[in-house]
Amino acid sequence: MSDCDSMRENMPFLLTESLDPARRELTHKHIETCALCVAEWSAYKETWQILDTLPEVTVPPRVKQRFLAEVQPAPPRDNVVPFRRGRAARWLAQAAAVVIVGSGAFYAGHRAAPPVELKPTPAQVTAIQQATPVAQFYSIAESRVLPAAAISPQIEGRPDIQNVQFSDPSPTNDQIGVAFDITSHVTVTGRPTDKSMVRLLRYVLENEDKESPSRSRAIDWVRSTYSHVGNPDPEITEALANVLRNDQHQGVRINAADTLQSLHSAMTDGTRDALVEALKNDPNPAVRIKAVEALAKLARSGVALDPDMVDTLRKKASQDGENVYVRVKAAEALSSIQPR
Amino acid sequence: MRPATRIFIAVAVLLSGAQLFGANFGTSNRVTREFPIDPAGSVWIDNPFGSIDVVGIDGNIVYITADRVVTAPDQASFKEAADGVAMSFEGDTKVRLVRTLLPPTRNARWSVAVNYVLRVPRSINVKIGSKFADHLRVAQINGSVTVNGFAGTLIMEGVIGASAVSMVNGKIIYNYTQRPVSKAQVQAVNADIDIYLPTNSNFDWVANTLNGDILTTFPVHSGRFTGAIFHGVIGTGGPTINTETMMGRILLQARGTDPRQAQSMRVSAPDHQRVPSDVMLQPAKKIQLPFVNGDFTFAASVADVTVGEVRGNARVETGAGEVELGAVFGQCNVTSMGGPLNLGDVMGSLFAHTGAGDILVRAARMGGQLTTDGGLIRVIVAGGPMTLRSGGGDIIVRQASAAMDAETASGDITITGDPAQKTLKVTARTLQGNLILNVSPRFAADIDATILTSDPDVNEMHIDFNGISVRREQVGNKTRIRATGKINGGGERVELYAEEGDIHISAQTITPIRLANPK
Repeated sequence: MSDCDSMRENMPFLLTESLDPARRELTHKHIETCALCVAEWSAYKETWQILDTLPEVTVPPRVKQRFLAEVQPAPPRDNVVPFRRGRAARWLAQAAAVVIVGSGAFYAGHRAAPPVELKPTPAQVTAIQQATPVAQFYSIAESRVLPAAAISPQIEGRPDIQNVQFSDPSPTNDQIGVAFDITSHVTVTGRPTDKSMVRLLRYVLENEDKESPSRSRAIDWVRSTYSHVGNPDPEITEALANVLRNDQHQGVRINAADTLQSLHSAMTDGTRDALVEALKNDPNPAVRIKAVEALAKLARSGVALDPDMVDTLRKKASQDGENVYVRVKAAEALSSIQPR
Repeated sequence: MRPATRIFIAVAVLLSGAQLFGANFGTSNRVTREFPIDPAGSVWIDNPFGSIDVVGIDGNIVYITADRVVTAPDQASFKEAADGVAMSFEGDTKVRLVRTLLPPTRNARWSVAVNYVLRVPRSINVKIGSKFADHLRVAQINGSVTVNGFAGTLIMEGVIGASAVSMVNGKIIYNYTQRPVSKAQVQAVNADIDIYLPTNSNFDWVANTLNGDILTTFPVHSGRFTGAIFHGVIGTGGPTINTETMMGRILLQARGTDPRQAQSMRVSAPDHQRVPSDVMLQPAKKIQLPFVNGDFTFAASVADVTVGEVRGNARVETGAGEVELGAVFGQCNVTSMGGPLNLGDVMGSLFAHTGAGDILVRAARMGGQLTTDGGLIRVIVAGGPMTLRSGGGDIIVRQASAAMDAETASGDITITGDPAQKTLKVTARTLQGNLILNVSPRFAADIDATILTSDPDVNEMHIDFNGISVRREQVGNKTRIRATGKINGGGERVELYAEEGDIHISAQTITPIRLANPK
């Protein structure tokens, strides 16, 4: 196979961004130097763009359901001896699947045709079967063991599978093991108050070991999302408090303190301690400003501040070397404290 | 009985019931004690809630009267309060300690105040600790007095010995019945300090307030400011009366004079060497204006300034406070020693500095300079060349149409180029953080980007353009990753430097931000 052929095979994957970095770079370099491939690549891109502009057609649920019912295998029964299909049978099955997919697509594409009118018949309920709720959790874990039955036979896209290891965990049975690291893109959807979502965000805020723009973005996002939630989960403020305590990055700490201010209704003792600590010791005056503003907001809202907080505010208000704005804000916070 | 009478009686009964239902339980009980004390002994009173009166008398006995007032909404709370609050009388003839003991965790439903009246020998030393009190009063004491309170009015009357008092909220009143002979240290946060003295007093006066004024009816000699601290001599000088309040006013009044005749030491400030912090000598102000037709010049020690529109040049100088200017048609010059700056559409050159706090600018049409000693800098549209400096905090420019020079000690720098500009001079430097340059795919420049990192596996260079060569070299225990080259044929110089962070030069379709023309 010539270089050009191999590179052209890569082009669809280049379009879908599913090439590994090395091959992507190689393909790009080849395209830049080969006039024929440039034309080919342009044609690909043009087609791709046209496809992008085409309207998205939704498969009617009834067709989808029928199709799925036909392609999904029936559950195995104990009294049935498995029938091993021959080569011909497999070909036939595959051909049938192609026909079904084709028919489904044809039907979806021609759904503008006049619909078949059915005479309305009243629905009759003959029996109601109690649904058994099945909790299926996708666990975000460092390491997980999955049975092969839980894995879809279809591998989507071109996932980056690395560090593959094979094992035979129990020689007494016919089970084998294939272990690997995989990086995949996961989108978790849910309400901001869902515990799983809160835990996930807490993990993201606290455990991103790499300084990245996403940390500041994550905090901005948390602020805009949870400041509208009536009663945000205290775990969110605790995570922000940990960022405020531990992050080396001053911009991130400023963001964390600022966000805590807008989530003052969900503050815990630990969160308040983090703000006091920041007010006492953070070298960045902007972090101290945000911390004192958050404490002032707390005091104004009528929350009882413990003696250590009051003492810190008092010291800050009178501290000669401190930024005047921090001192003024500390004095303002003190003026809001009511007897308790 | 007539129906109207019946209704009247029913309503009266109902209202009385409601009154009874909402009523609080309250009681007051009195305790009296007497203890002998040495003439040079001390009395310490620690009472978190309630007033304290200490009056000097002849003799060597301490007479204590304590009234405990408990208020609770129901019997159970009332009992809890009555059982939980105790008075303790400890010590010996050297030191007598009077304390109110409260349970460590308190039910917010009930409240207690213990009001003490102590008659003590004049010569003894007095020490008071208080949180919330209607008043704290110390009178006719020749020994030393120390007061540490949080809120309430503190009255020191005829105190001859040295005194050190500190309050947070409320008011402090010193009434010298004779010329001061001992030093006094008076400190407050949100309280005014009023000191009344005989006209023939001789003492040194030190006064310091951020937000209030420094007033006196005494003739002051050798007055001078050291920063915001005033030093002056009254009469021939003598013991020092040091008065310091953050947000309050200081008044030193000669007995028999009218306080309305008091002169402000700030307004008639004596000559002194000018220093940058002189703005602190200006009175505090709060400004809220929708519109200024012409130039706007403003200076204040502590000020929150909000102006919707300035149809000329704006010049604002504050010691502390928030500055918010909606639109400025001319040049804009804002200097604050601390506090956030929020500036809208600035059509002339912009120069803004804050000692601490964020700077947000919606549009700097002619560019300018923004600096903060710590805080975020965010510019939505930079129409002209800008210099941006932060002592620590992110710098974000949403649309840069001219040369950008940005530097932060710790924080990310994100600059998005105006898609209408084919090339742009950019110098950006972060000593801890990431650097992101977003430009259009046809952006042309000479790139020189450097990462200095102790973890080269974590910090990376991401450049969405071809024609860049990347080199790695070891510098001490760090790795330097340097990318150089021309993109899209070359153009203005783009110099990027990040320590312990990534550099991204990202090619993307950018939607331009259009500014509305001023009306």
